[in-house]
Amino acid sequence: MSIRVDGIRKTFGGFAALDDISLNVPQGELVGLLGPSGSGKTTLLRIIAGLEKPDRGRVLFNERDVTTLDVRRRKVGFVFQQYALFRHLTVADNVAFGLRMLPRGERPGRDAVRARVRELLELVQMDTMAGRYPAQLSGGQKQRVALARALALEPEVLLLDEPFGALDAKVRKELRRWLRHLHEQISVTSIFVTHDQEEAMEVSDQVVVMSQGHIEQIGSPLTVYEQPASRFVFDFLGHINALEGLYDGAVWQSGEARLRLDTHGACPDGALTLYLRPHEATLAKAPVEHAHLPVKLAARSVFGGTVTLELEPRGWGAGVLEVELDRDTWAALAPGRDDTLYLLPRSLQTVTCDGDLGPRVAPA
Amino acid sequence: MSSANRPHKWHQWTLVAAAFAAVVVLLVLPLVVIFAEAFAQGAGMVVDNLTSDDMIGAIQLTVIVALITVPVNLVFGVLLAWCVTRYEFRGRKLLSTLIDIPFAMSPVVAGLCYLVVYGGQGLVGQWLDDRFDVQLMFALPGMVMVTVFVTCPYVARVLIPLMQSQGTEEEEAAILLGASGWQAFWYVTLPRIRWALLYGVVLTNARAVGEFGAVSVVSGLIRGETLTLPLLIQMLNEDYNTVGAFTAAGLLGAMALVTLLLKTVLEWRQSSKLNAAEETLT
Repeated sequence: MSIRVDGIRKTFGGFAALDDISLNVPQGELVGLLGPSGSGKTTLLRIIAGLEKPDRGRVLFNERDVTTLDVRRRKVGFVFQQYALFRHLTVADNVAFGLRMLPRGERPGRDAVRARVRELLELVQMDTMAGRYPAQLSGGQKQRVALARALALEPEVLLLDEPFGALDAKVRKELRRWLRHLHEQISVTSIFVTHDQEEAMEVSDQVVVMSQGHIEQIGSPLTVYEQPASRFVFDFLGHINALEGLYDGAVWQSGEARLRLDTHGACPDGALTLYLRPHEATLAKAPVEHAHLPVKLAARSVFGGTVTLELEPRGWGAGVLEVELDRDTWAALAPGRDDTLYLLPRSLQTVTCDGDLGPRVAPA
Repeated sequence: MSSANRPHKWHQWTLVAAAFAAVVVLLVLPLVVIFAEAFAQGAGMVVDNLTSDDMIGAIQLTVIVALITVPVNLVFGVLLAWCVTRYEFRGRKLLSTLIDIPFAMSPVVAGLCYLVVYGGQGLVGQWLDDRFDVQLMFALPGMVMVTVFVTCPYVARVLIPLMQSQGTEEEEAAILLGASGWQAFWYVTLPRIRWALLYGVVLTNARAVGEFGAVSVVSGLIRGETLTLPLLIQMLNEDYNTVGAFTAAGLLGAMALVTLLLKTVLEWRQSSKLNAAEETLT
């Protein structure tokens, strides 16, 4: 079932939680609503589910207006961040709940319910725990039961509110792979809310980046990362280093730091901020002609194949810079304790003085 | 879980001992005296008094008042708790403050207020008398009305904090799964609040059975007609029928002990439930 959201507005006591939101989710897609807390993503999800009423705008399922349709008739599967399992019922009874609430005529018989519950619990790999109570399950197990419960009525829309937010890192990673896999199996149109960039990037077909009740950008994970539509999107997706300085049409300068940049006239002379992603730079023991950014090593952490370095600028103004190198590069560099190192950016994002994104540039 | 320490200095022990002494002198001793006095002239007198018409009438009336009051306040309390914890509306805080009026007000005052409004000379009372020939005061309806008034906060007061802490997500989940509002209440809300609800009922019942002040004002103290057990105790005491008074008192005392036992069991059930819930969160 396709989902269309058209001009939704929602205010809570004068505060606009959502302002003129429009969004299209084609049948069978898995869309991630990504944004910081307070961006309105959960409110949007609850409006699509019917748990909140919008002040203005429409929600359409398969082009049918469901804005005023009662929650229980929308037939959406919904998964809560805190699972919201019925704590007085066993796992099996939780999953069977929706089937038992069906009107008498549509309600399957006792054996049919039992068979369906078993099938769902197998799907979420919880069939051995059917008799347990929620209190006896781990967070990851609870969330899988919640998913099975949401899928019991074969919804054509599945909505997940920060489904993995309350889980520890390892279980979270495992579960989101599993969700991706499940989605390929049953192909239900799904929207999930997250504030975790990595999660949105890994799981979604499309990412919707939201901030302060607006949609900043809609696109594939690759598009929003490589071609961010706004400064906010660039800022929000991954860590960035902001370098502030002055530009004279050829050279960017800040204290003792210098970078030769050719912006083909796109950036006016004057204040110019450069955004540097941690993985788009390397380090050397000597400066090169087009880049002179002296730094001192403040801290490092080795994790997996990359080494994350914290660098303090020497003689120029910027906060602590974060740079990621692969292990071999780091080993080859092997700097001494107080050595001055030189940062060599490969690619930078310019931010003009009015706060918009300028062109991407490379020092040369 | 508990941050309390065992007392280990002499003055701490003294404090504990003093607390125990106060409880014995002020609370336990009078209770013992009640039973001692009742049986002072032998069990035969107790049985005689228990089987007297006045006593049986009072027991029946007390039970009837409680039987009507408890269900009324059960429904009222649940509705009130539901409104206050499940809806966001203007005046919600005010409503939850108004619930406490019967706690704050002396029952005698409540009785007088009802007498003024619903009595024969009262605004509503006069109209009811003229139109329907119905008399509320100095009869069962009035006694039930004031008892309902005096005991109405108990169920709501027990439920509100619990329902607030439980939140609304499980009910939302039920409705998303196709349950009607009634089904969500019956299959999800009620099982979660049942122990607290029972606790509220026990408290309501104890108060309804023992209520004196408000009932004494509106009952008219008509012997054999509008005397509940607490009113009968006073009447017998004024008649110098000590054994009778203490027999009735013993009956109420026994009910109180049963209530206390039930309350302890329910509290224990509820706290073990809460502990279980906490364990799952950590």
